[in-house]
Amino acid sequence: MKLPRKKLTASVPSFAMGDIGFLLLIFFVILARAQDDSHVRWQPAKLKEVEMVASPLASVTIDTGFKNYLDGKEISTDALPAALSQILGDTPPGKRYVFLKVHKEAKALHFEPIIAAISEAGGDLVHILEPEQPLLSQ
Amino acid sequence: MKLKRGKLLVDPPASASSDIAFILIIFFLVCAAVQPETGIAQILPKTEEKTEKQEQSKNIEVSITPNSIILNGSPLKLNEFPLKLNAALSKKTRDEDRIVTVKSAPNTPYPLWIKISQVIEQAGGILTLEIESDRIINVE
Repeated sequence: MKLPRKKLTASVPSFAMGDIGFLLLIFFVILARAQDDSHVRWQPAKLKEVEMVASPLASVTIDTGFKNYLDGKEISTDALPAALSQILGDTPPGKRYVFLKVHKEAKALHFEPIIAAISEAGGDLVHILEPEQPLLSQ
Repeated sequence: MKLKRGKLLVDPPASASSDIAFILIIFFLVCAAVQPETGIAQILPKTEEKTEKQEQSKNIEVSITPNSIILNGSPLKLNEFPLKLNAALSKKTRDEDRIVTVKSAPNTPYPLWIKISQVIEQAGGILTLEIESDRIINVE
């Protein structure tokens, strides 16, 4: 006697498609943030009248230990112009945004060579700063 | 005759609570990560070697140290600086005359430097850095 086999089908429930799509979307959004430098520790200086800034092609950071990072990777000041030029490529002027994130305790000897390097690579420099809160009157 | 009412309140299935928590965590992580950044933009022409020393001496010169600001040789307080700079720049009409050469002491703190650079830009000056290695950087 031949026993009929029970068919086992495993299908993804269609009501979960929305959730799956949403998770995939978030996954790719996070992956797209290739310039992630969130692990670099720094504190921005404060300034009055700062404005929202466009998204950069590269981000240079001077951290609390006054080390330089290009898109989250440590780099020497001498190697910075060439590395920046490679990233900026043939992007036309006015769109070659480079974010400069300088720790508030950095001195001119730390940040001036970095500004020179960005200038040498032809980057459009954007200083990343925090808006200064007005003092509350008592 | 009395009609039976259907149940209106339905609890979400307990098995889905971990999925809901996971999605909420990701949602807040992404919200925290994509906060817009603020700052000030400066357009930097390419770095130039210092060649025209004579022409440089005609420019307005600002020296910054941690404790003082010197405008064309006169020491000033930070609150006096915008007025004096505006006065110096008001006589200049051509772009090439509005160049302000900034020389900073190596221990000049970044917050002070950025304040001075903002004052120069707001006064209509064209910021130029003079750094130790004799390289000139023009900041418009």
